[in-house]
This record gives sequence, C-alpha cells and structure tokens, in this order.
Amino acid sequence: MENKTLDIRGMTCAACAQRIEKTVKKLPGISQASVNLASEKLFVEYDSSLDLSDIKAAVSRIGYEAAEKTEYSDVTIPIGGMTCAACARRVEKAIGKLEGVESSSVNFATEKATVAYDPRKVRLSAIKAAIEKAGYQALEVNKADAADEDRLRKQKEIKTLWTKFITSAVFSLPLLYIAMAPMISFIRLPFLSAIEPMNYPLAYALTELVLTAPVIGVGYKFYTIGFKALFQRSPNMDSLIAIGTTAAVLYSIYNTFQIAAGHFMAVDALYFESAGVIITLILLGKSLEAVSKGRTSEAIKKLMGLAPKTAVILENGQEKEIPIDEVEIGDVILVKPGDKIPVDGTVTGGHTSIDESMLTGESMPVDKKEGDPVYAASLNTTGVIQFKAEKIGSDTALAQIIKLVEDAQGSKAPIAQMADIVSGYFVPVVCVIALLAGIGWYFGTAGDLKFALTIFISVLVIACPCALGLATPTAIMVGTGKGAENGILIKGGEALETAHKINTIVFDKTGTITEGKPKVTDVLPAGSILKDRLLQLTASAERGSEHPLGQAIVLGAKESGLTLLEAEQFDSLTGRGIKARLEGEDILAGNRKLMDEQNISLAGMEEISDRLAEEGKTPMYVAINGELAGIVAVADVVKESSRAAIERLHKMGIEVAMITGDNKKTAAAIAKQVGIDRVLAEVLPQDKSNEVKKLQSENRKVAMVGDGINDAPALAQADIGIAIGSGTDVAMESADIVLMRSDLMDVPAAIDLSKHTIRNIKQNLFWAFGYNVIGIPIAAGMLHLLFNGPLLNPMFAAAAMSLSSVSVLTNALRLKRFKPDTGKR
Amino acid sequence: MLENKKVITAIAAGVLVVAAIIFLAVESAGGTLDVVGKRSVQSFDVILNAIPDQVSKEDGGKAFALTAPDGSVRFIWTGETAESSRFDVKLQADADPFIQAGLDTGKLPKDYDISDNVITVGVKLNSGSFTGAEESALSAYEGLVKNDRSLINYHTDMDHFGVKLGGGNMFEWAKDLEINVTTKQAQDKDIVFVLSPEPLIAAGVDPQKVEGWLYAPVPVMENGKKVQVNKFLKPFNIK
Repeated sequence: MENKTLDIRGMTCAACAQRIEKTVKKLPGISQASVNLASEKLFVEYDSSLDLSDIKAAVSRIGYEAAEKTEYSDVTIPIGGMTCAACARRVEKAIGKLEGVESSSVNFATEKATVAYDPRKVRLSAIKAAIEKAGYQALEVNKADAADEDRLRKQKEIKTLWTKFITSAVFSLPLLYIAMAPMISFIRLPFLSAIEPMNYPLAYALTELVLTAPVIGVGYKFYTIGFKALFQRSPNMDSLIAIGTTAAVLYSIYNTFQIAAGHFMAVDALYFESAGVIITLILLGKSLEAVSKGRTSEAIKKLMGLAPKTAVILENGQEKEIPIDEVEIGDVILVKPGDKIPVDGTVTGGHTSIDESMLTGESMPVDKKEGDPVYAASLNTTGVIQFKAEKIGSDTALAQIIKLVEDAQGSKAPIAQMADIVSGYFVPVVCVIALLAGIGWYFGTAGDLKFALTIFISVLVIACPCALGLATPTAIMVGTGKGAENGILIKGGEALETAHKINTIVFDKTGTITEGKPKVTDVLPAGSILKDRLLQLTASAERGSEHPLGQAIVLGAKESGLTLLEAEQFDSLTGRGIKARLEGEDILAGNRKLMDEQNISLAGMEEISDRLAEEGKTPMYVAINGELAGIVAVADVVKESSRAAIERLHKMGIEVAMITGDNKKTAAAIAKQVGIDRVLAEVLPQDKSNEVKKLQSENRKVAMVGDGINDAPALAQADIGIAIGSGTDVAMESADIVLMRSDLMDVPAAIDLSKHTIRNIKQNLFWAFGYNVIGIPIAAGMLHLLFNGPLLNPMFAAAAMSLSSVSVLTNALRLKRFKPDTGKR
Repeated sequence: MLENKKVITAIAAGVLVVAAIIFLAVESAGGTLDVVGKRSVQSFDVILNAIPDQVSKEDGGKAFALTAPDGSVRFIWTGETAESSRFDVKLQADADPFIQAGLDTGKLPKDYDISDNVITVGVKLNSGSFTGAEESALSAYEGLVKNDRSLINYHTDMDHFGVKLGGGNMFEWAKDLEINVTTKQAQDKDIVFVLSPEPLIAAGVDPQKVEGWLYAPVPVMENGKKVQVNKFLKPFNIK
C-alpha cells in the first residue's frame, strides 16, 4: 500500500471536498481517501494496481487540480564557464537527466540555473556534480525552501482576494447607495437628479448595470466554478452564489429593457444591487477566511521554520559551512553556542546544554556529552560540541513530528465526516427548496415574479454552507498545532475525538508513574554469603537482562566497585526473572512466582520481603544452586508530577488504574503514594492488553499510557494509546497520542486539549449550521406566510453568510489561547 | 503573460457585453436615455389628437391651451417665453365652485392669481427656454420637456405623465388611453386637472362642497415613500 498526500487547488467549500473524496474512493485500488478543506490536501492510500497519475486525472476530470505534495526545493545555481546558449542547453539537459529533478531551466544571459527538485531523491551536491561533469562550474547557491514558497503562495492568494474585495466594494457601495437612497423616507439623502429612478428610470437602470459589471467581473470564479459544478450534477457553494446572482442580474437586464419599452414601474424590479452586494460580501468572507486559515496553520509553519538552513561540517579538520541538504550521514558537524542543531545525531566531542523546548516543550536545557543524542532544530546554549550526523532530511525527529502533525491535521474526526456527508447533500437540497419556495410564492401571489425571485435568491444565498467545511478542520488544525507547541502530538482527528470521551486511564508503572531508573536499596543475604558476593553474583547474572530492575542491580554493583563475572549461560524468564550459570553455579533471580515454580523455599525471608514490598520496594529473590541466597531490593522513585497528574485526572472524573508486572504489595504501596484507584499487579507483559480489554468490557473508554516499546499490544488495544517521554519511531507507530516529555501532567493536558478541541468543533458546527437552519425558513417566507412577518433581503442573507464563516474561523482561533494545566510549567 | 492576455480578453468581452446592452436598451427607448420625457411627448400628442377641438392658441399665438370638455378649467403652456408674463405654464380654473364653497379670494396666497372669476396657478420657465416662437402645441410641449425637464414627471400608480405647476398643482394625462399598466385596469382618467387643496381650504373653502371637483386622496411618492395626499381632481375620460 502506498500513502500519498496531494495538494488540491480549486476547492471552495465542503461540497467540493466531499465530491473529490467520493470520486477518488470510487477508483479501484483505493483503500482510503480523505480531503482536508482547510489545508487543501488529499490524503490517499492505494495499492500498486493504481498509479498516482490516475488519481490526479480523476480529480482533474471533476474540475480541480491535484499536484503531488513533494518537498520540492527550488534552487538558483549560478553557473560559470558558459559561453553561449548551446552551453545553457547542455547544462539544462545534464541536470534534467537526474532522477528527482522536476524541472530545470538555464538562462544564458543571467548565467543561472533554476532547478526544482525533490531533495529526498536527489541531493544538491549531485546536481552540482552533474553541472561539473558537463564541464561547467556550479557556484554559490541561492535556495528557497518549500515552506517559504508555500507562505508566499498563500500571501499572494490573500492579496488577490483582498484586491478583489476592495475592487468589488468600490463599485458596489455607490451601487447600494443609488439603490437605497431613494427609498429612505426619514431623511433626504443627496441624489443625482439625472438618475432619479421615477423620472429617469432608464438612466438609473443603466447606471446600476455599469456599476454591477465590474463586481461580476472580479467575482468571475463563482460563475466558472459554480456553473461547472452544477452542470456536472455536483453543485457546490459557488453554484448557489452563481445561480442566485445570475438570476438577479438577468431579471434586472430584462426589466431594463422593459423600462426602455415604456414600462417604467419595472424600475422597482431591479436587483443589480443585490447581485453586487452579495458578491462583495462573499468576497469579504473569503478574504477573512484566507487570512484566518493562514493563522490556523501557524503551528506547522513554526515547526517547519525551526530547522536551520546551513550546517558547519568538519572536513579534514577544516570547518566548512554547507546547505543543510548537503549534509550526509556520518558527517561530523560542529555546533557553537547559539547555533541550532541542523540534523539528528550523537555527540562525539565536547559538552553543552541544549534547549529542546521547541520540540518537547521542556523549558530546562538538557546536558549533553559524548554519546548523547541531539535533535535537529534544538538550540545549543553554552558549549561547543561535535556530533555525528545519523538522521537527516525527512528522517529527523523534527521531520517526523511535522509529518505527524500534518497527517493529524489532514485526518478526519468522525464528527467531520458527518459534516462532510451533510454538506454533500445540502447544496442540492437547498436548490430544490429555493425552487419550490420561488414557485410556491409565484403562484401564491398570483404571479408576482418580483416577490418570488426575491425569495428564490434569498434562500440560495442564506443556505451557502461555506462555513460548514471549515468548522472541523480549522479546530483540528489549531488544536493539534497547539498540542505540538506543548509537546503533545495527537495523531489524528479520530484520536482527538475519542480522547475526550476517556473515563479510565491505565498507567504502566515503571518508567511512566515512576522514573524508570530503579536503584538498589537493600542487599539482604539469607545465609552465610556475604553481601557483596550476593550483589556481585546477582549483578553478573543480570548482565544479560534488559529489564530495568536487572539493569539497576548491575548499576548498583558497579557503583559499589564490584567486578562483574562472565556468565556461561543466560536465560530470560519473562514475567518471572532470569536464570544464569556463573563459575559453575546456577543462579536464579526473580520474583516469588519464579521461586515457587522452582520449589525454592522462602522461609525466613518472607517477612522481610513483605516489609520491603510495603515500603514500595521490589524484592528480587536470589537462589544459588536451588537454595535461597538472599534478597536484593530495588526501588524506583515515583515521578514528581505523578501525584499531581492523577489528582488532576480525578478532578476530570477519570478513574486511574496502574498495570505492572511487579508484585501486589509493591504495586499497592506505589499506588497509595500517588492515588491510583485500581491496581493490576503481577501482570505478564503479554497479558497487559487483556487487562485493558477487561476494562473495556465494563463499558469504559480506556486510555493506556506507556513507553510504547513493550506496551505496544496494550496501547493498540486501548481506545487511546498514549506513548510518553519518547519520540521514537516505535512510539509514534503504536500510539494515538505521543507525549514528547516524561511529565505525567501532559496526560491530563492531552485529555483537556481534546475536550477543548471537540467543544470548539461543536461550537463551530453550531455557527456554521445555525445561520442556515434559522435563515432558510425566514428566507423562504415562512414567517411572512404564518405571521405576516419579515422576509430576508438577499443582501442581508449574504452578510449573514460572510458572518457565519468569520464566526467559525474566529471561534477556531480562540483555541490558540488554550493553556494546558501542567502544574509547574 | 498568457494570464494577462486572458484577463485583458475577459475584460474586453465584459465591456463589449455591457456596451451592447446599453446600446440596445437606448435604441429600444427611441435613441434616448430620457424615456419618460420621450414617452410623455408621444402620449401628449395622442391627447392633443384625441380632442383637437379642445386645443386652441392663446396669447396672440404665443401659447396653447387645452380646455376641459366642460370648459371649467384649462391647461395653458407657452411656446415663447416672455419677461412680462407672470406664468409660462399654468392652470386656469373657474373660481365660482370654490367661492360657492366658501372661498375668500382675498385670503389666497400671493402665488395664486384671481381675476375675472378665474383662479390661475402656474410657474415661470427658465429664461431662454425657447429661442423662437413654437408653431404647434406639440412642439411647444416638446420645448418644455427639453428645457424644463424637471417640470415633467411620471405618476406610477395612475400611469400618468404630468406637468408640475408649483405648490402641488398639476396637469396629468394618461400614458396610454386604453389601459393603466400599473393597475392593469382600463384607463378611465385620460386627463386630470389637479389643484392643491391646502391653500384653498386655508382661504375658506369647504372641500366637500366644491361642485364639479373631486376631493380625494391620491397616492404620491414623497421621499421614496408612498403617501396618500388629498387633492382637488377633475378627471375626464376622453376616449
């Protein structure tokens, strides 16, 4: 299965997005397709029977443009050594042959090559090498990155929309004035007598026509897109505007000729100003939408802008500054104080403190020395370090986070899917309502065409579902972006929607509630064996173990200055302990279960073991040659934030459980310390997911919080899997929410963010739908029919629609003010 | 470049369409933007031809008069402006019915003329309205339309053209003698002499007692709003 993201151009509303989704889903080989109106992207999963060009062609056939979302970079390379146009052609050909080069154009006059290329497929150094191979010099480059290109494109779009709106307003304001001024009886407004409607009706009508024409001109897209969609039997928002305003203009032109023919009272049946003002107000709404959309995606842009553009590598002991695209794996990179880390890697020399807050939200700088990992976009504060590049380009943690957030913003929450389905049917239904209302009133008023037309236009305009398509994606964009700013990575709209329903959270103990760095607290020999010997043997046996408890014992022995022995044999007994052979002796180290299985008596040490457990320590029984040799107790400190986080979850009405392989007493002691409601102790790793299932069978919505590596089945089983304190591939794969820091307070923060986002979505849907639901019956004349109440002027309908879009976007942007309650942040 | 060409082509096409509509509309209006003025001349001509016996020359041929079929009131319009004349366009009505109804002629406003038992109301035209004497009643009216267009109006509800004579006094005639296109009823008021009642009532007239004149509300547009205004009316159905 292939996953691709395509940029879609030409969408104007949810109906467009719905239509594209439906069309793509019909293609054979498509497994999933989802369109995000706010970010203008199509996310598609398909098998090898289908080519991407088929998908693009299908989208193009219904009137939209699909462009492959690539991380194309544009670069301008000055070329030396060209002597004529033929040289330019040669260089162009040499560059164009490279796989990954989208386009290349060499200008002999300016001596520059402009190249668009996919940096994942071809490196800048390879392009330069091709130029050199062709016999020319590739000089210092000038590069624009995709984020800047995207920003410029969006800015141009916003500027175009504002220009259209202002142009439209310049003509529609006087149009509105000359239409309204003669009708205002309480004040005599200045009016040009030469176009006074009662005395000069033809001049009046033609003046209105001349003022309307430019407004129609700047709003041409409503007609080209709207009518095209209508003729393809998939009317969208533009279709409603196009039909409504076209009806108004054509009817007004007809009445203009009626006036010319001597039917002067036709001057009362002119609707030029309705058409003009509708277009102007909708353009205003679109302009504000474009500005707001740009702001909703600020989080992604911020993340994209974090990475530095150059890196200083050490080549033969010399410092060399190169564009970041030219960094290769294995390069040794020098980072000075104040510089940003360019790519992911491991420190090979020096030591410093690095501010990783832009990635994790953690404000305290992290000390780094040889062997420690560093991440792209983090900020080197104090020292000078060298590090070896290990992950570059799209493999860095930053790139993965960006991708994760982008994918999350593109994914659909179930509530959004519902909104899309509704909007898909909404427009055709509205057209029918408008037609029925118009026809009904025409006959109901004994042929008053003017009245019927007003009703018809008003229903079309007030029913525009412009805001509906924005209601959910804007909130998700802002919400996931806000989460990313605070180190909370939510992987999808569905995760967001489910998270707010959680009523039970299961925490893994070690490394989640506790620091995950257990230490040896007690070494208690059972018989004549010496303390140090007991520790030495246990630690030597545990050397092969990856379990944190085993590693704590190894560390404890090293810290005590003990030499570790080589094990002749080692076996890990999952959920119970380890078995090893050292210096001819059989060593068993593990929990009570292991001792019971091996029939090793714990007499004399049971009380001690219970006491240790009640103190929250984990007693590891050690047996040598089938006899109990003693107990090594290990304790893992509870995280500072654990208690506070669990208290916060309780305040949110969430029950908290803890799951651990540790013994019941130890688990109970830890649970008491932090306020856990339910303890699931002595659970084998393979049984964790069953425990989660049991909780779910009690009709609960369960979230599981773990470190993602050995908790993967439980994370997958849970309604929401939350990986904490890790940005690794495994964690990102298995969890629905990834918390970049090890702070447990991020768990209630994530739930809180989810609740706020879902609430925001519901509010947006209210604003989007509310205007339509209330407005359609009024526009259709229901109040007038039942209570002789007011009708809805088409211009007021247009104003209401623009207000609806602005309301939704403004409300979505309120989410930016969300501050997670993280205690000490 | 191609984008600019498309934009220019689109704008040019738009301008052509609008220009075509304007051209066709003006042509169908008879080559003029002042469709009310033009149609008023046409319909006035119809009136003049419908009652030629009621049309006469006045003032030594310098003016023309249209007399009501009962002879009680006349509409007079000049074909040649003169400094000496008080009114160039006027309504002359028999004062007797008003005197019988209580009119004290001494209390009439200064812009009302009363002599020989005739009440005259009217307006002076712009100086230089006519360059020479108009030979026909129609051409004199045409001159009026051309040079003092503000005196001409269209009364939508009645489907009438009218000449404003100051102070709410008017002479109106039907756009079409057959049908009132506003009400879609037969036109039964082909010509109407209209007098403003307020100055007459202020001078002592009891409006209900004026013989031969109808005292009734008439819908008029005032500042964009339709209001009912009482008038003294003398309508005639000439066809």
